[in-house]
Amino acid sequence: MSTVVEYPVSVAGLYQYHDVIGLLSASGPGFSGPVSLALGPDGLLHVASRANPNQPEGVRVSRCTFDGDYVGEFSGWGDAPGQFIWITEIRFGPDGNLYLSDENTHRISVFTPEGEFLRCWGELGAEPGQLNRPSGMAFAPDGSLLVVDSLNHRVQRFTADGEYLAGWGSEGEGPGQFSMPWGVAVDGGGDVYVTDWRNDRVQKFDAAGRFIAEFDGRGGGNGFSRPNGLTLDSEGRIYVCDWWKDRVQVLDSDGRVVDTLIGHSGTSKWARTFLDANPDIEEKLNAATQNIELKRRFYRPAAVTVSDDGLVFVADCYRHRVQIYRRL
Amino acid sequence: MTMVSANADTNDIQSSHRALIAHLVRRAGFGATPAELDKYCGWGYDATVEWLLHPEAQPGLDEDIIERYYIDWKESRNIEGALTETVYRMNGSAATRPLQEKVALFWHGVFATGLAKVLHEKTMLNQIDMFREYGLGSFRMLLERLARDPAMIFWLDNNFNHKDAINENWGRELLELFSMGVGMDGKENYTEDDVQEAARAFTGWTIDDDNVASIPFGKTPWLFRYDPDDHDDGIKTFQGETGNFNGDDIIEIICRQPSTARFISRHMYNFFVADDVQVPAWQNTPPADPDAIALLEAEYFRSGYDIRSMLKVLFTSDFFKSEAARFARVKSPAEVVVGTLHLVGDLKFPRTGVMDTALECRYMNQDLLNPPSVEGWHTGKEWIDSGSMVERINFVADELGNPSHRGVRNIVGALLEQESGLDAASIVDGCLELLGCVALREDNRTALVAQAAELLENGADLESVILNALRMIGSTREYQFA
Repeated sequence: MSTVVEYPVSVAGLYQYHDVIGLLSASGPGFSGPVSLALGPDGLLHVASRANPNQPEGVRVSRCTFDGDYVGEFSGWGDAPGQFIWITEIRFGPDGNLYLSDENTHRISVFTPEGEFLRCWGELGAEPGQLNRPSGMAFAPDGSLLVVDSLNHRVQRFTADGEYLAGWGSEGEGPGQFSMPWGVAVDGGGDVYVTDWRNDRVQKFDAAGRFIAEFDGRGGGNGFSRPNGLTLDSEGRIYVCDWWKDRVQVLDSDGRVVDTLIGHSGTSKWARTFLDANPDIEEKLNAATQNIELKRRFYRPAAVTVSDDGLVFVADCYRHRVQIYRRL
Repeated sequence: MTMVSANADTNDIQSSHRALIAHLVRRAGFGATPAELDKYCGWGYDATVEWLLHPEAQPGLDEDIIERYYIDWKESRNIEGALTETVYRMNGSAATRPLQEKVALFWHGVFATGLAKVLHEKTMLNQIDMFREYGLGSFRMLLERLARDPAMIFWLDNNFNHKDAINENWGRELLELFSMGVGMDGKENYTEDDVQEAARAFTGWTIDDDNVASIPFGKTPWLFRYDPDDHDDGIKTFQGETGNFNGDDIIEIICRQPSTARFISRHMYNFFVADDVQVPAWQNTPPADPDAIALLEAEYFRSGYDIRSMLKVLFTSDFFKSEAARFARVKSPAEVVVGTLHLVGDLKFPRTGVMDTALECRYMNQDLLNPPSVEGWHTGKEWIDSGSMVERINFVADELGNPSHRGVRNIVGALLEQESGLDAASIVDGCLELLGCVALREDNRTALVAQAAELLENGADLESVILNALRMIGSTREYQFA
């Protein structure tokens, strides 16, 4: 662990701040607007950085250990096969490969964990099987891949090779309808959870896409505002990045808010190295009037994932880091 | 969409109600699509002016959608990103809050602050947001906000303006370029002592967090801070008045000066009505239209320095509505780029590639957020050189001739749907009207009609002839005027 902070527990005390990885960087150790996380079969944390057009090399997938040791990265700015620009989600499939959604090319690309391009599929359109800005993805227990088709306001199910299987949803506010959905997660029974982004809710469906329930985050909380990344843990808890409220809401399986993470970041190993080499920068940082917000709190958390041993990883997008909590 | 008549000649079009409203929205906004012009004509001129003057009643941009796709804009880590955001916002609001964006552009030119020195994009963008919020309100309040704006404080070194070692840069430019001007009617408006005393009044007006590096946690905006321990609270004499003045007291005195009314009125006239001589000449060169300036000055005082009231007088005045004022200004690059984007309906929803388009402003000599000096951009014919003219023509012609744009398809479709048969003249005149009642010199119009006739004679289909006419109109000298 690289950091000790003073008040390291979540609002309800169910989680304790554990560590942080990252600093702003367009290449090498660091992230640039991390929007998605994936825990690889190689035991590494994979982080997708969205970056910006002026730093095409910053749009990349980085690999590091849970302790924040940099292992490597791959990138490929462009719209040719194997390239990507508006990276939104990364997920590992049962085949051990990394699936990447790109809202620019409307494609899903498949890479080895080390970044070797294997194949891609998907095309722009609104017909079944076509995509318009694919964002969240999740693999179901049967090995199929659920893709949030955000501008078509629906969820589609594909084989890992891109063969269309099923889909549901349309634009609207009613049950089973969506407004620019973003994230998706699947539980062990195959039920599907979708962050219905502009409707400020999470919807739950069965594996066939039949509506089961919706959670707006008000049960024990004060409501979602543009929720995006979400995941489930082994106990059925639902973790939702409450993007515009700069927090992560933890819900029980009935949708009640049981805890809230607001960000307690310390200084990462990579940041420590940088600041040790630039003590004047650290001095000014410590003197900043906004330094608590800068150093500790979430700023547009965009993705969350939980390891088998209860570590909760949160992509703290605008602070270019991954904050890690441990479930108590 | 409604057309006066595809066969009406240019003079008829220019005398129409539609042409007058097209003139209004070119100046108070970034032009209008044919459908928007239909809507405004239905409302009538005065109601359109009222709609323009109250942007707060219209929906703002979908900030959540902007953030979702352009995640880097929240902190805007580089000048190109900040420029891109600015152009995107102007274009995005061109149908809903055009005057708010136009006024922000106006004040950006008057209170010119630049990233060449500020080097903190988010702080610069916050200044533009401040112009959006306060730009149509009280000029006094606007100056009070400007004096507290972190980008301006850094730009003009007021963070180095200390009670025992004044830095007069902000105090001088506040008087010279932001409010009173050096002089008018051949006389000077203030003295060197006034500059020194104004600077003393703004000691202790400084900023926080400007030294925070973007690594490791990303950029964070700068904040205004008043440091009473560094403020000179001694007696000061400014513009003949004596007291224990702080910065806001100086601004209050400035706002009472006739020179301030003159200075703001001349800026408004030059930006919204017609090209005039540039600021350095204002001390000794009278206004191009003294009666118009007098009307605006009177409204400045009558309304209690209210910019919205002054603009209402301006937009409803005979001097603004007159045909002599039509196409009497060279479009700024921002007007060329945003006006064309709005007309063709491009970049209304986030997509990749917006930066390449936004950079066109820079190529045309207006590097938004980075003016050449504190004096801002020189306007009128000074926008034009051979390089920028080629950029202007190429950009407009490419956009207007691109049938993949929804707005272009709408124009082509409107002409093709006409009941009467299209000939070369009606194609050219129809395009001129649908592009916002553009007025061509008769010899230019004749040449375009002849070219369209030749294409038709050679068997070209109507759509390609219309697209060619759009491209050619976009290539004319006249299209470069607002």
